[in-house]
Amino acid sequence: MTTLATRRRPAPGGSTVSRPARSGASSVGRPGFAWALPATIFFALFALVPLAAVAVLSFTSWSGLGDPEFVGLDNWKTLIADPVMLKSLWLSLLFIVLGVVTQTPLSILLGVWAAGNQRNRAVLSAIYFIPLLLSSAAISVLWRALLDPNFGIPGQLSWLFGDGNLLGTQTGAIGVLIFVGMWQFTPFHTLIYQGAAKGIPPVLYQAAAIDGAGMVRQFFSITLPQLRNTAITSIILMVVGGLTTFETVLILTNGGPGTDTTITAFYMYQQAFRSFDFGVGSAIALVLVVVATAISLVVVKVSGYDKMNSSLEGL
Amino acid sequence: MNNRTWMSRSLAGTAVITLGLTLAGCGGGGGDASSRPENELHLAVYGDASNKVEQAMVDKFNETSDVKVVLDTIPGADYQTKLQTIIDTDSAPDIFFNWGGGSIANFVKADLLLPLDDFIEEDPQLKDAFLPSVFDTAVVDDKSYGIPMRGTQPVMLFNNSEVLKKAGIDAPPATWDELLEDVKKLKAAGVTPIALGGADQWPTQMWFQYVFDRVAGEDLFQAALDGDTSVWDSEESHEALGKLRELIDAGAFGTNFDSVKFTDGGSPTLLSSGRAGFELMGSWAYATHLDANPEFAENVLGYSEFPAIEGGEGDPDNLAGNTNNFYSITKDTRYPEEAAEFLKLMYSDEFVQEQIAIGNLPTTTNTEEFLDQASNPEYAKYQFDLVKDAPHFQLSWDQAYPPEATVTIHTAVAQFFSGQIDEDGFIKAMQSL
Repeated sequence: MTTLATRRRPAPGGSTVSRPARSGASSVGRPGFAWALPATIFFALFALVPLAAVAVLSFTSWSGLGDPEFVGLDNWKTLIADPVMLKSLWLSLLFIVLGVVTQTPLSILLGVWAAGNQRNRAVLSAIYFIPLLLSSAAISVLWRALLDPNFGIPGQLSWLFGDGNLLGTQTGAIGVLIFVGMWQFTPFHTLIYQGAAKGIPPVLYQAAAIDGAGMVRQFFSITLPQLRNTAITSIILMVVGGLTTFETVLILTNGGPGTDTTITAFYMYQQAFRSFDFGVGSAIALVLVVVATAISLVVVKVSGYDKMNSSLEGL
Repeated sequence: MNNRTWMSRSLAGTAVITLGLTLAGCGGGGGDASSRPENELHLAVYGDASNKVEQAMVDKFNETSDVKVVLDTIPGADYQTKLQTIIDTDSAPDIFFNWGGGSIANFVKADLLLPLDDFIEEDPQLKDAFLPSVFDTAVVDDKSYGIPMRGTQPVMLFNNSEVLKKAGIDAPPATWDELLEDVKKLKAAGVTPIALGGADQWPTQMWFQYVFDRVAGEDLFQAALDGDTSVWDSEESHEALGKLRELIDAGAFGTNFDSVKFTDGGSPTLLSSGRAGFELMGSWAYATHLDANPEFAENVLGYSEFPAIEGGEGDPDNLAGNTNNFYSITKDTRYPEEAAEFLKLMYSDEFVQEQIAIGNLPTTTNTEEFLDQASNPEYAKYQFDLVKDAPHFQLSWDQAYPPEATVTIHTAVAQFFSGQIDEDGFIKAMQSL
């Protein structure tokens, strides 16, 4: 118990070991391959095998009845010529960008605030956290009812919402989806930032205070740089989450008006489980895998996250 | 953590999204009868409030039969997906609920269903006990594949009689011109003339079904369904689309119908709260209102046939909607005779009485004798006569086509109503089916 109690303040990123003894000849104490076996098996079973199966399916025509029929590149040709597919990719990227832009500043501010020790902080933090505890489906149904043009909020605030046709226009529908996403996921990212902000050594702030730095200066010169690795983690999660946004689109807009909120993940579902075209659905799934992987790698590379330098070095 | 772990992490995260697809793809390959359980018949139905009648019929059958029927209720929203996923596997149901028409066409094509004609020859009541316009919906390539169950659901023009009275409208519109006239009066009275749950898309489609039928008759849609897509570009098709455009441009549906749903109570509340004059909806609208606002349903709610269109080729008595639901038998069943025996219950007096008691309107010829027992006999009789006298009952477009067409149809009708596509865009979409 005493060892646990003294191990306060875990460093951001989870590890303080910045340079494992890779160059050293000794492998004493390094885990063997057997340790990775269970995880590897699960990963293969639940990620690689399905991925391979989807890749095979994308070259077939299959409605779920009988055996899949091999059609070569037909599904891919269909997709390339399909304006909805291209539009869905643009929409997905738009969702990611808008999601990151709206959620990141808010969750950093809330997270840093929640890491302090103001009065009632714990109570307020708990309230912020509630949206995350609800299922996406419940949240979507809730907002759907609140945004009913005649009997919901827009009906009461007609000076602001006009005729209340929020979900019937492209800007309105995208705005609603981004807002609901923010409402739902900001608490989660706030929590991450809160943990990271608590891990920043107080000595930094004390030194800055002696040097005469005010709160704003401390925030920009100490807090933000220290949260860098956390921000990257959070943004990667937002990117993957944005790409796979699904329930909110299904329930709030059903991809509409027209195809104006048909993002790629929803389009995949529509092709596979509404139109029973599993071949095209699988091809879209593969496109998603490639796009998501590419974006994640770019973020990791550009941010220098692969180097994983500890922000506590030199302390 | 090094580069490679991060790479595999991102891969893992993104691969998870493909998992759902692949799990669904694990089925495949038909089973033969001997792998099925002994002395059991599995009956798959759409799970909702009507299941108690289905359970009652199962119980009645099991009293006397050695082969027991097991009722599997599948939650409504997932029914079609689940059915398509299991029907070609060993866990396929022996008997299953469907909508006839396009909802079983693919199964027939894949040779998964048992034609019922031999059973009908043995017991002609399996066909003769039902209204012909309804029975024919489950006939594919001249063979019968379904026996009607549950009730018929024609689409009618509902109204709020108090709102109409206040706007100076004495009777529901009998013609298209009267409807346009009523729209003007209702607008002048400051209400949305016609409530429309545009976000659900299928309520929008109901307007197309009727206007096309009234203008061009039932043959245009049938020809399109049979593969002659040039009919969508015909003069009649353009005329029908022009009529719809005229109605939309007159402001009949207000401006925010794309944000309104029927399924969450949005558009029905517009009608019952007096903020709209009409709503085109399936006959279940009565039950919907009775549930939410009994006083309105009983005293204020009015209903009429879809108006006639002057100079149109379609019979003004034609109906559109869900003709009925059906039971079909899969070919691999181990006990076809017993399954056919079970279907005979669907024209029994008990069945009709049980259905009427919960507000459904069965389509057997003897239904008429029991209409007095309905919760609203007047409404039940009106509806039954509509169905009985209809020269043609058009199955909803999205049910008449196989499921893969649904998304295209729904998107096209919604985009046409909101002005995202014009006549040519709509025609092009329908021709792509």
